[in-house]
Amino acid sequence: MNVAALVEKRRTQWAELERMCDGVGTPRDVARFAALYRAACADLALATAYQLPPGTVTYLHRLVGRAHSRLYRSKRFDPASWGRVIFHDAPQQIFSDPCVRIAAILFFGLFSLSAYIAYNEEMFPNYVGSILGTAQVEQMEDSFSNGLSGNFSQYIGMAGFYIQHNTGIGLRCFAFGILLIPCLYVLCTNAAVLGASFGYMARDGVQGGDTFCEFVTAHGPFELTAIALSAGAGLRLGIGLIRTEGLTRLASLKVNALKSVPIMVAAAVLFVLAAFTEGFISPSPLYYPIKAGWAIMSSGLMMFYFVVLGFPRKGQL
Amino acid sequence: MVAATPLDTTTEVVTPENIAFEYQLAGPFRRLPAYLLDVMVYTCALLLLILIAILIGFASSSMLAVSIWGFIALVIWFVLGWFYGALCETFFNGRTIGKWACGLRVISIDGRPLSGMQATIRNLLRVADMAPYAALGQWEFEMAPIMNIPTALVGLIAVIATKRMQRLGDLAAGTMVVVDEKSWRLPVAKVDDARVPALASFFPGDYRVTPTMARTLAAYAERRSYLTPSRRREIARHLTDPLIDRFEFRHDIDPDLLLYALYFKTFLEADQNEAVALGALAGFSPLRKDQQPTDSGETS
Repeated sequence: MNVAALVEKRRTQWAELERMCDGVGTPRDVARFAALYRAACADLALATAYQLPPGTVTYLHRLVGRAHSRLYRSKRFDPASWGRVIFHDAPQQIFSDPCVRIAAILFFGLFSLSAYIAYNEEMFPNYVGSILGTAQVEQMEDSFSNGLSGNFSQYIGMAGFYIQHNTGIGLRCFAFGILLIPCLYVLCTNAAVLGASFGYMARDGVQGGDTFCEFVTAHGPFELTAIALSAGAGLRLGIGLIRTEGLTRLASLKVNALKSVPIMVAAAVLFVLAAFTEGFISPSPLYYPIKAGWAIMSSGLMMFYFVVLGFPRKGQL
Repeated sequence: MVAATPLDTTTEVVTPENIAFEYQLAGPFRRLPAYLLDVMVYTCALLLLILIAILIGFASSSMLAVSIWGFIALVIWFVLGWFYGALCETFFNGRTIGKWACGLRVISIDGRPLSGMQATIRNLLRVADMAPYAALGQWEFEMAPIMNIPTALVGLIAVIATKRMQRLGDLAAGTMVVVDEKSWRLPVAKVDDARVPALASFFPGDYRVTPTMARTLAAYAERRSYLTPSRRREIARHLTDPLIDRFEFRHDIDPDLLLYALYFKTFLEADQNEAVALGALAGFSPLRKDQQPTDSGETS
């Protein structure tokens, strides 16, 4: 058989398919594209029987590959499913996930411990200096010593900064979860540093201490929970590599990655809420009970979200 | 017989049409330029954004407008920095701008296109693949670390150690990066040597080329132009020595020419019954029985 003649005969169709891979226009073209793609598939299947040269077979593999990825397109984000992820999948997953519990206990436990040690000046006089560094302590005192003031244009700029910066920290913590140790490190460092700042500023007679407490009240619940949640999502990833539950290690990693994404989405939403609170409510000269009320309301909302929405439904236990 | 899996970086995908085709996997040296291009693209986009924000800041006198633009710029910075790859790969079917320029594409390991969720997972986990970070002044206690330089050792080791060259993000999302080159030459070597059809006409009519032999011939014909004549003869001799005996050809025949003629007969000859125009070569015969008895002593 003359392979060259055969290839020459089919070549025009292949070239046409190759052109169509760059863009398909009219419905007639789409139908033609499908027909040409099936023909190329058949040619590839018969390549051995035709005794096609290896170069031509390679060409066919690439042609079919390109046409395949042109024909079967990627699934886009479905905005309709986002509501389901945020209000159904995420709380259910958070409620039932031991990793989230571990991360939360670790974070809030270390946070409280660090705050207590920093507050207790007589027993641990050097703690704050060694955790935060003297320069940062002074800077913190300076920034809160003048009381809270600001205008709307400052608030909105700061809100943008908090979204960019704090959510970034959360996402970084999540991504490091796959390596496990860096995630725990980021979580513990944040707990120790934040706890030390809170404890130090809560001491009697520290410059700007009252202002600090007023500042952090409103956004505290959202922000601290969001950090714990993103670390919990990260731990879910990393634990998936170790605790496989009968799956292969890779399959387990994939399953756990899918489980961890709703938690991270919830954490990101909390970060954004915290950023707006931190930008607009915290620095404003609002009456303090309003800020405290906001903190209580946000804590109550999160309780509702985690417990009521997250409680296992019938048949899901 | 179990077909030996080839020792190269291809992976097989079975389509819904029940055709198995191969993709070539992209290794670190193809993926690095694509990634650097992506970094350049979104750095340029960010610089443009900052420039626009500054220009607007100068143009507008109100403080409020400036800070609203600052807010928008920061949010875009956040989205670009974290979700550039995920958005590109979702909307351009597995390609970012850098991957498009370097001819790469991300697909699921079962060959289907990746979903938005997979693109998000694999791009978020890039941070872990870039670890460990080396910072200047990392070991000094007096100064704060400046400049985090990602060494990407984690990702590199993952790419080397896995069968489909996946980094950690790919492993978690179940994706792989393949070469998706735009065009590929379609090689059927042209034969322009007049001796080749002449020699091919002397092959016995009952000789059939086996499939493995056909593959070997095609590979030889594609590559012989890169070899020196003596090297060609050295390689071809392994196949032609038994053939010369079988066809009863003269022993001084050029092995390279013989293989090339066999290639011609297998792939290019139009009609086997057509008489070949021998031209100047008429009267020449490669067969041993036509050989002059006088020079047989010298060549054999």
